[in-house]
Amino acid sequence: MSHFLHLLENEVHHAALAFMIVVNALRLGWMFRFRSRREKAWPAGKEGAGIAFSLANIIRPGAMESIRTKPFFYAQFVLFHLGVVTAIAETFIIPSAPEVLRVPGTAWTFRVIMAAAFIVGLLRLIRRFRNKAVRFISSVDDYFTLILVILFFGAAFLAVWADFQRSQTLLLVFFSLTAVFLIYEPFSKVIHYLYYPFTHFFLGRSLGRRGVYPLRPHPDKDDVRSGTRPAAEERV
Amino acid sequence: MAKRRSPRTLAVTTGLQTGSQDQARREGLPSIRAGRLRTYDPAAPNVARFLELLDRRLTRAVASSFAGCVHCGRCAESCHYFLARPDDPTLTPVWKADQIRRIFKRRRDWMGRLVPWWVRARVPADDGDLNRLKDIVFGTCSGCRRCTFNCPMGVDTALLIRFARGLLTELGIVPEGIFNVSRDQWETGNQMAVTPTDYLETLQWMTDELATELGDPSVTIPIDKPDCDFLYVINPREVKFDPRSISQAAKLFHLAGETWTLTSRGWDQTNFGLFSGDDGLGGFMAENVHEAAVRLKAKRVVISECGHGFRSTRWEGFTWAGLDQTIPYESVVETIWRYLLEGRVRVDKGRNPEPVTFHDSCNIARSGGIIEEPRLVLRRVCADFREMHPNRTENFCCTGGGGLLSLPEYRPLRLEAARIKADQLTATGAKFVCTMCHNCVDGLADVIKHYKLDIRVVQVLELVDKALVV
Repeated sequence: MSHFLHLLENEVHHAALAFMIVVNALRLGWMFRFRSRREKAWPAGKEGAGIAFSLANIIRPGAMESIRTKPFFYAQFVLFHLGVVTAIAETFIIPSAPEVLRVPGTAWTFRVIMAAAFIVGLLRLIRRFRNKAVRFISSVDDYFTLILVILFFGAAFLAVWADFQRSQTLLLVFFSLTAVFLIYEPFSKVIHYLYYPFTHFFLGRSLGRRGVYPLRPHPDKDDVRSGTRPAAEERV
Repeated sequence: MAKRRSPRTLAVTTGLQTGSQDQARREGLPSIRAGRLRTYDPAAPNVARFLELLDRRLTRAVASSFAGCVHCGRCAESCHYFLARPDDPTLTPVWKADQIRRIFKRRRDWMGRLVPWWVRARVPADDGDLNRLKDIVFGTCSGCRRCTFNCPMGVDTALLIRFARGLLTELGIVPEGIFNVSRDQWETGNQMAVTPTDYLETLQWMTDELATELGDPSVTIPIDKPDCDFLYVINPREVKFDPRSISQAAKLFHLAGETWTLTSRGWDQTNFGLFSGDDGLGGFMAENVHEAAVRLKAKRVVISECGHGFRSTRWEGFTWAGLDQTIPYESVVETIWRYLLEGRVRVDKGRNPEPVTFHDSCNIARSGGIIEEPRLVLRRVCADFREMHPNRTENFCCTGGGGLLSLPEYRPLRLEAARIKADQLTATGAKFVCTMCHNCVDGLADVIKHYKLDIRVVQVLELVDKALVV
């Protein structure tokens, strides 16, 4: 292994990771500096249940019409984020336990996930260019971040093969992109995972308190879905 | 051939009409003198004031909704405006929210401050930009919150729209309709400027009608009666345009053997503060109702059928007013359901044989939590109740929410967007669409008239009244 690759896999990687963690912590502090306001009306439901429901919305594709009616979009979402997790896992496995990726079954699993995530990334990019409404709201950051992630996925896909073949060039590309990704992450929209708990906490707290969340499946056969707190008949 | 509109052209563009504001200033209205009702001053540093207000009013919930959007565009198809005009990207909830989000980013976000062009951050350049923002937040969104419920990130776009409305209201950069109704609420304590005489005379008229109908001269509509089971608060529209809803409620309460009262002061449960984003007005109206309940030592407050009135009186009002809730507040539909369960009134569903569907008011279902009760009541009083689809928290707005009914300049776009509601109504095959909101009554009536639908709008009380066995 070249000295430069060793540096990228370890010192640079760890420094970039530390930078990301510090900046993300500052981001969290920034968010906590905004005051929080609580509703004073008596509750009709449970805040905790509402928060839990809201936070878990993303693993319930049936909970939102926008997702329920677009199963392909949800599948893309799952693959894309699975790709993120897998690629990040690779950044740790390759330097510290490369033998894991030399097991053919594991290597193929990683390759399939990364290839799928790469394709989904491309589909998302195409959508961002082609869909008029999405293009209209897209900023440079939206394009840059997506392209960066696609490249990261591509490099992660090749890195599995590269490590297997002992090809250092591809590993150099992968770990260089990893460093760029980690450093840019706190300033890009990738940081949305940090805000997800906040938005869903506030929405869930408010709607849980009002008895709207958790939405409940309704027994009526002509019902689409949803419902609220226990039906009035149960409560009285 | 119709000229193609550039996507950068706003769906609606109106100038700032200040005739009512000028007149109010000339008259020296107390609310203006006290600084509660704001008017537009073209000589004032409005942009600087806007930015200062934005910084000061940001909460964590608002900031997280500003910061959390990933521009995925999933919200687009949840909005009736965009669905009705899918070629217009300025009608997606995310684009509308971005028009205020970009200001937040320029002021508070690191990237927005360092490299604004990278994240499309920008502050308004002048009052013209603020007026443009006014058209977006007041004219192209009814605050129905359907997009909020459909956002994978949990971004509350309606919250951001109301936040922006509140900043503009503070500068007097508002549509005339918003100013006029706010003025009436500040000045008279009710949004239709109903005078005390008109109010009391209408109640007397309804008392006489009810006594005649029931053949019982002892029937009254009590006013300011202390120590009652509940204080009934109403919508001024009921006094001005639909007084029969008051007598229907009175009849129901009488038959249920209820001790109840109306109040001579603080009877308006509606709250334009919800629409204008003015928490001051919101708190003022909520406090009026609360004070009336305390003064009359009522054991609870019952809110007549009104969407935004229910939401603001039952929920946000306490927060705006900084009041602790001391007695229960409920919708009259919850009261009706309790009567039916307890057998305090008898009904015959055969008296409502026509097919009836139910329209969930956004403020009552998505933002209020009253979803099953109206259905339970309607199933008891209607022989043929059928759901419209989608329903409950997924229902589409009547198109008149967010104060849009009082904003004629945005009516053409609103009625264009109403095609979604018209299709929904038609698909039910119902002869009546029932709703528990006065705003929705007018909104739906507009839709029905515009699209020439064979359906009539009714409210829950009206159907219950028809089914009552006296």
